[in-house]
Amino acid sequence: MSSQSDGGGSDTPEDVDLAEGIDHQVAMVMDLNKCIGCQTCTIACKTNWTEGGGRDYMYWNNVETRPGSGYPKDWEEMGGGWTDDGSERQPGQLPDKEEYGRAWEFNHEEIFYEGSDEPLRPMDGAEWGPNWDEDQGAGEYPNSYYFYLPRICNHCTHPSCVEACPRSALYKREEDGIVLVDQDRCRGYRYCVEGCPYKKVYYNSVTKNSEKCIFCYPRIEGEGPEGEVRAPSCAEDCPPQLRLVGFLDDEDGPIYKLVKEHEVAVRLHPEYRTEPNVYYIPPFAPPQHSERGESLDSERIPRNYLEELFGPEVNEALNTIERERDKVERGEESEVMDLLTTENPAKQYRLEVFDEE
Amino acid sequence: MTMKHKELTLAAALAVALVATTVAVPGLVDARPAYAVPVHEGGEDASFASPGSEDWDAAPAATLHLASAESGLPNASSTSVEQVDLQAVTTDDRLYLKLSWADATRDTSTADVRQFADAVAVQFPVNESARPPIAMGGASNRVNVWFWRADGTDQELLAGGPGTTTPLDSTLGNASRYENGTWEVVLSRDRSAGGANRTEIPEAQDLDVAVAVWNGSNGERSGVKAASSWHYLALGGGPQGPPYELLLWAVAGAAIVVTTLVTVEGVRRTRGET
Repeated sequence: MSSQSDGGGSDTPEDVDLAEGIDHQVAMVMDLNKCIGCQTCTIACKTNWTEGGGRDYMYWNNVETRPGSGYPKDWEEMGGGWTDDGSERQPGQLPDKEEYGRAWEFNHEEIFYEGSDEPLRPMDGAEWGPNWDEDQGAGEYPNSYYFYLPRICNHCTHPSCVEACPRSALYKREEDGIVLVDQDRCRGYRYCVEGCPYKKVYYNSVTKNSEKCIFCYPRIEGEGPEGEVRAPSCAEDCPPQLRLVGFLDDEDGPIYKLVKEHEVAVRLHPEYRTEPNVYYIPPFAPPQHSERGESLDSERIPRNYLEELFGPEVNEALNTIERERDKVERGEESEVMDLLTTENPAKQYRLEVFDEE
Repeated sequence: MTMKHKELTLAAALAVALVATTVAVPGLVDARPAYAVPVHEGGEDASFASPGSEDWDAAPAATLHLASAESGLPNASSTSVEQVDLQAVTTDDRLYLKLSWADATRDTSTADVRQFADAVAVQFPVNESARPPIAMGGASNRVNVWFWRADGTDQELLAGGPGTTTPLDSTLGNASRYENGTWEVVLSRDRSAGGANRTEIPEAQDLDVAVAVWNGSNGERSGVKAASSWHYLALGGGPQGPPYELLLWAVAGAAIVVTTLVTVEGVRRTRGET
C-alpha cells in the first residue's frame, strides 16, 4: 500500500497518497458531460501508437457507450484487481479475440472499382467489435438514456497489473507514476492482461509482448510536436476539450482541485481497489419527460447505475456540481465551473510544474 | 520345541539371505542411482540432430517425474504433464538431449491472446561446484536454461532466481516431432561454453540437470510448469544399466512374497497341530 511518507517531495499534499517510490503522480480528469462520442481521441491514439505490427486490435484509448458492454465486451465481468480490503489480487480472465473484435474486411474493391450497387459492409460475419453497441444505451422512449465513457490506462497508484507480473516487467515510473511495460523484460505471459480489471493491457502476438497506454510520455517529456511539452494526444486532440491533465499532487493544479479540494471528479469502479489516476466528472442528463414532453422531477440516468460505475462518492460529486451550477446561474463565482469550462490550455494542461526539481 | 527351533532358524536364514541380496545384487547386475541420467557416447557416424533418428535407440532413457513447481501464480498447482523421458548423448564436441513426454494437445501457436504454446526447458548450473536452488537458481548461484517452445523457437537463458531469466545469444540446435500424443524434442549445444555465464559440459564429471514442461492449452507458462527435481547427467562414468531403485523394489517385492508364503505355511501348520 502507498502512503504519503513513502514517496513524493516534501511538499506532497497531506491528502494525496502516492505509490511507494514515486515522486509525483500524473493524472487526468475527463468531463463526461462534454463527450460527444466522436472517437477523435481513439484515432489520435491509434495513429500515434497502435497502427499495425500486431496492434491493430488494440485501442489504448477507447470510447464506449454506457450503459453498454464496452471494450473488450463485458470487461467488467472478467475479474482482476484486488479484494475489498485491497490486500490480495483477484483472479482475472484473458479476453477472447472476438471480445476485442476483429479487423473486418470491407467490400471497398467491389463498390469503388467494380461498380457494385451493394451497400458498403464487412465481408465476413461481423458480430461484435469495439463500439458495436454505440448509442444503444438503455431506457424506453421518451426516457432512453446513454452517455459516452472514454477510457485509457488509469496509471493506478495500486496497479494489479504490476503486481501480477512474475518478472517485474511492469513498473511505475519514479518521476510521474506512469505505468509502463519494459519490453526487454516482458516474456508475453499475459498475467498483466488477466490482472488488470479495466483490461487496459494488451497482448501483441507479433512481438509476443504485452503493451499498453504510455500516457504519451514522449509528449509530456517535450519530445512531441515542435519539441514542446504537450499533454497526451487523446487530450489535446479532443474537439470538445473534455480532458484536464496535470499532477494529482500539484495543489494549485486542476486535478488536485477537482479531485481533492472540491471532490467532484470520481474514480471508475473504485471497488477494484487499484486506485486509478484517471477521474471522471459524472454525467448529468435532462430530467425524465412525460409522454407529452413535460419535464418530470426524476433523474434520467438512474442514480444506482452511476453508483455502480463510480461508487457512492458519485452522489456527493453530483450534488456539489449542482450547487456550483446554481451559483453560476445566480451570477456568483465558482472555481469548479471555471475549471470545467476554461478554454485556456495553460489551465487545462499543467505538466511543467515540477520541472525545476 | 524342535519344530519351533527349526522354523526360527529358517526365518533367520531367510532374513540374512534377503539382506545379503539387497546389498549384493545391485553391485552384481550394474544398476544406476535413481537421479542419474545415463549418457550415451555417440559414434562418429551416428546422427542425433533429429528426434526420429534410429541412432537414439541406442541411448538409454531416464524417466524424470514431474510435479507442479511452486509459485504464487494463479493455477500453479494444476499442471498436467507427469513425467518426461530424458536421453543424453555426447559426441566429441556436442551434447544432445532428447526429451519425450505425453501431451494429448499439440499447442504450437501464440497468435491469439488466449493461446499458449507447449514448451520444455532444461536447466544446468552455470558453475558446477555447487548445486543451485531448483527454482531457476539463485542470485549467487545461477543457472543456464535451454528453452524450446512449440512455435519452433529456442532460447538460451541465464537466471538467478524466479522471474530473472535473461536471454543469451542462442547457440542451440533444436528439432521436434509430435506423434501419437507424444512430443519428442532434441536440444543440442557445443560442449564448450563459448562465453561467460554459459555452462561448460564437462568431460569426466557429472553435471546437474533439471527439466520443466509446459502444456500450453492448460494455460501453462512462466512459473506454472511441471518440473523435476535435480538429477545429473552421468558424464563422470559410474554404473549405467537400469535404475538402482528398480532393483531395490524387485528385492522388496521378492521379500514380501517370501514373507507371505512363510506366514501362510506357519498358520497352516499351527492349525494342523491343534
